Amino acid sequence: MDGGTALARVTNTGERSFGSEIKKLTLGAGEEFHGEGILAVTKALLQSGITYVGGYPGAPMSHLIDVLADASEEILEPMGITYEQAASEAGAAALLSASIHYPIRGAVTWKSVVGTNVASDALSNLASTGVTGGSLIILGDDYGEGSSIMQERTYTFAMKSSIPLVDPRYDMERMVELTEQCFGISEASNMPVFLNMRIRACHLTGTFIAKDNKIAKFNFNNPIPEQKYDVTKIVLPPASYQHEIAKFETRLPAAANFAIENKINELFEGSQENKKIGIITQGGTYTVVMRALRRLGVADAYGNSDVEIYCMNLVYPLIQSELIDFMVNKESVLVVEEGNPNYIETQIAEIAHTNVIKCRVHGKDMLPMAGEYVSNVVREGIAQYLAEEGSTEISKLALDKNTEIIAKTKKAQSHLPSPMPPRPPSFCTGCPERPIMAALKLLMKERGKFHISMDIGCNLFGSLPPFNVGNTVLGYGLSLASSGAIGPALGQPNVAIMGDGGFWHNGFTSGVVNAQWNKYDSVLVILDNGYAAATGQHKLPSTGSTPRGLESLLSIENALKGVGITWVKHVDSYSLENTIDVLREAMEARSEGLRVVISNNECMLAKQRRIKPEKAANLKAGNTVIHEKFGVDEEVCTGDHSCMRLSGCPSLTLKQSKDPLKETPVAHVDESCVACGNCGEVAHAAQLCPSFYKATAIQNAGIIRKYASSINRSFLNLMGSVK
Amino acid sequence: MNEITTTTPDRPICVLLGALGGQGGGVLIDWLVNSAKRAGYPAQATSTPGVAQRTGATTYYFELFPEKNPIESPIFTFFPASDDLDIMIAMEPTEAGRAIERGFVTDFTTVITTTERVYSTAEKVSAGDGRIDVIPVIDAIKKAAKKLIQLDVSALSAETSARGNAIAFGAVIGSGILPLTPEDCRAAITAKGVAVGSNLAGFDIGLKAAKEGIQPSRQDDDLTFDKAPNEFDGEISIFPETTREIISHGIVRLIDYQGPNYAREYLKRLKRILDIDTDQTKKLTSEMARHLARWMSFEDVIRVAQLKTRPGRLSRIRNELKVGPNTPLKLTDYFKPGRDEVLGVIPKSLSWLVPSLSKGIALHIPTGSAFGFAMLKFLSILKPLRTKTSQYIEEQKAIDQWLNAVIKAKSQDYYLACQTANLAILARGYGDVRKTGLKKLDLLFIDWNKKLENDHSGMTAQVDQMILLAHSNPDVI
Repeated sequence: MDGGTALARVTNTGERSFGSEIKKLTLGAGEEFHGEGILAVTKALLQSGITYVGGYPGAPMSHLIDVLADASEEILEPMGITYEQAASEAGAAALLSASIHYPIRGAVTWKSVVGTNVASDALSNLASTGVTGGSLIILGDDYGEGSSIMQERTYTFAMKSSIPLVDPRYDMERMVELTEQCFGISEASNMPVFLNMRIRACHLTGTFIAKDNKIAKFNFNNPIPEQKYDVTKIVLPPASYQHEIAKFETRLPAAANFAIENKINELFEGSQENKKIGIITQGGTYTVVMRALRRLGVADAYGNSDVEIYCMNLVYPLIQSELIDFMVNKESVLVVEEGNPNYIETQIAEIAHTNVIKCRVHGKDMLPMAGEYVSNVVREGIAQYLAEEGSTEISKLALDKNTEIIAKTKKAQSHLPSPMPPRPPSFCTGCPERPIMAALKLLMKERGKFHISMDIGCNLFGSLPPFNVGNTVLGYGLSLASSGAIGPALGQPNVAIMGDGGFWHNGFTSGVVNAQWNKYDSVLVILDNGYAAATGQHKLPSTGSTPRGLESLLSIENALKGVGITWVKHVDSYSLENTIDVLREAMEARSEGLRVVISNNECMLAKQRRIKPEKAANLKAGNTVIHEKFGVDEEVCTGDHSCMRLSGCPSLTLKQSKDPLKETPVAHVDESCVACGNCGEVAHAAQLCPSFYKATAIQNAGIIRKYASSINRSFLNLMGSVK
Repeated sequence: MNEITTTTPDRPICVLLGALGGQGGGVLIDWLVNSAKRAGYPAQATSTPGVAQRTGATTYYFELFPEKNPIESPIFTFFPASDDLDIMIAMEPTEAGRAIERGFVTDFTTVITTTERVYSTAEKVSAGDGRIDVIPVIDAIKKAAKKLIQLDVSALSAETSARGNAIAFGAVIGSGILPLTPEDCRAAITAKGVAVGSNLAGFDIGLKAAKEGIQPSRQDDDLTFDKAPNEFDGEISIFPETTREIISHGIVRLIDYQGPNYAREYLKRLKRILDIDTDQTKKLTSEMARHLARWMSFEDVIRVAQLKTRPGRLSRIRNELKVGPNTPLKLTDYFKPGRDEVLGVIPKSLSWLVPSLSKGIALHIPTGSAFGFAMLKFLSILKPLRTKTSQYIEEQKAIDQWLNAVIKAKSQDYYLACQTANLAILARGYGDVRKTGLKKLDLLFIDWNKKLENDHSGMTAQVDQMILLAHSNPDVI
């Protein structure tokens, strides 16, 4: 079983393909691109003459990495572009080192803020030394609805390291143009540049007219003639002091100048009668502002507004001269700035103050301090602003419209009888991580509850109902490290769960090595399902191949062995009782240092994606196909739902019984069942009930099998199996 | 079909889709985007798929500007807004409810929802019936929205393999709100190239359902009552009219379980309740008729073997798997009898022979094979032996204890008697679940008479609490 699934996976890498996306990336000048936002940004990179690109996958920017991985032949090789899905965001950020000395453009991407946190070390160094070639960091900003991480701003990173931050207006044509201009800002200011892309912007669909892809002057087909040495680029004194001065005296001003010259920020004029008021918005919230203005009756569907708008696509550094021009003849402005702290608003207030401009600066006094700036939220804030600061006419209009919308909404809401059930994400049908959570829950029934440190990834869903077995989570690959002071404090072993993604990201060094070195009394459960599954089935060092399909396998077992860990046991998570036994044994071996339990059943989504078409093809071709499903005998089920509290499988659900004697709905396995067997195992391990059965049909069976089966059926008939 | 105004439109048409991961919401939105593109209307879609796992609620959002080649570019945005939503598509009815909850649906909005519930974990983990009642939710949508189009996907798709997302797509176009023609949409489905045949079929079904306003047939949740043999007519006739249906059903169950004499034992017990049931509604009698029949047909090994070898079970399972009668079928039944279960097939006098079996004996019975079937069949014909087993004797004792408790409670107040009757829910499940439940009852009923006399209101509270807990999620208690 040792890593057994990995090699099998290598041969099956064709489960997802991006043929149509790749075609879009090779469009030439004048052709129309129609597709997703993040793909448009990818195309913009290719039009900008990059020499290298890399990143670490995560929602919402994974698509950039996925599509390029598949585009070796069509794009990367002919253009000489170096591509790398790095082992972590730190690794991806470190790639940008290539642009410090050399006039080559590059781009990297990850999920922010979490990825930016991980990349910080490299980013700070890079921002200090500065760059020669245009360097772009595309941030998939996972903020607001659908987010899976803590809610923080990326802006702080831009400020602390003086990295220009572009937050583009989401019109695809403009977004592509701004992406290309980011390289200009970078080269003008000798700084890397952040391009912030919100979730919904990454997934938006739109159109722009393509340009030809541009092959960089230097690329792996045409290398730079020689390496360069320059001690002033090393982050050591005295150079580091000069770097600091340069940031504020030359680099940031250069970024602002480039933005002025290239009209990065945009002014949308309002009507003559309303010159005394104005709205300052980040590019990313521009369309939300315009929608709010339209709903309040002061703008049309095309963005023609009575109120003047200053749209900042470059949100750091601020362009002082443009802001002064905007504010100087106004009585007030409203700053629409999503997230907190309100860095932009406070900087603008400071600019007004130091330049003695008598313009009131509103912002978080009218808009919420925290949370995503969705349409309704922004509309209410702007309504308040217009009511307080607008002309009599506008003030009344906005107030009336807003009041009407709220009244109609409240009326509709008043009809609902009760709150709708919450629906957090959970393990997929047949997920191999589900039985581990069931095993831990059962083990807790036996031994009393213990603290479990969880990791980033699918495993974290174990913290949610019905399992409720995870107590804390502290970062990617940090579960084991984060358990270090908990076990001793509670008088239990440290117990940590980690996915294979977490293991390779940070878990091996920060967790395993640290635990081994410090002689932790620890149990580490590694869920090796073959992929970074939570991000959408991304390849890992232990998957067996690189994202580009090159065979390459690193073994978790060998890594553990290499640092001297001897207590390593494997479980087949679907064999629940055995899993419980091994976990118990691990918990009890308290004098043996770090004990590692590895479950290496493949991600069920990946497995199904592979075997479903195979099965269908075999069935069609007349080959023997095994079709399995679990079921519940309704009459046997007593409806206390113990099985659900140990499963949470989407395919195990409720059904109204027609039997008048049953007081509660019975359990039912629906058609989505993939026959992983967990429900039967749970019923067995917890001695729940004999309701579950596994049915296996042998389709297109061979002649002998069929004959044996017909004899079997005659016996069954004799015993009265037929109605 | 739809009114296309000749004046310049003043807003995009806005569509929100609420779905669960894995329901094909992304594909539906893709079809809309590509249909708009084909038809030449400016449009934009976006989504927050977040983590890729199944069952989490997720939304997709689409805007279309109903004018081809407008002179200026219209502004599209990312978020649905209150009283600005033309169409709300829900792939599950409570997701439509959620859209109301979040303030997106007003009398401006047409709601298109599939009717089949997908239960949330929160609803499933309750030990009772944790399901939210969907009928008031549907009523709320009707009141809150401009119009409601309901799609009973399984009834509509009938013999085709059409999926909900294709049917919903058809219904969106059928609602006539978007200026897209069915031809644009069919072309988009064909161009996407995924399961084209069944998706086109689904599209046409949804289109028709929305245009003709096909109402979903009422869910057939009606209970089916079995009719007792005629020889029982006289015995049943002494019970009030309103209770006869359930009593008759109980008799059939117990004849099947043990035989006519056992059914008569049931009637005898029930008669004791009838005699004291002075209330006009006869609620206590009918509740007891139900609880008593269920408890008396407790699932011991013999009963489970009987149910697992029921004529027709194998063909029912074949239907579930959608395979014909001649396809070889293997069946594995999961049994794990502990000591209590084994005692259900051993005469009480031999109980001492059975070891403690704390972990149970794990058995995978191949019921699909003649051998496995014969094994269970053998167990099921041990029925006559049942009355000699210690499990049977214990259960009867517990039943009588409960029966007496109900009668005693009635002497104090009717409500408490009905609640005590409902305590029978604790006698359910297998293994530890059952053992724990029965123990709780036993503890409660010890000195029951004295307890009732000393602290009537305290006992009522305790019984109420026990019933509440039996219907909750024990993990959060």
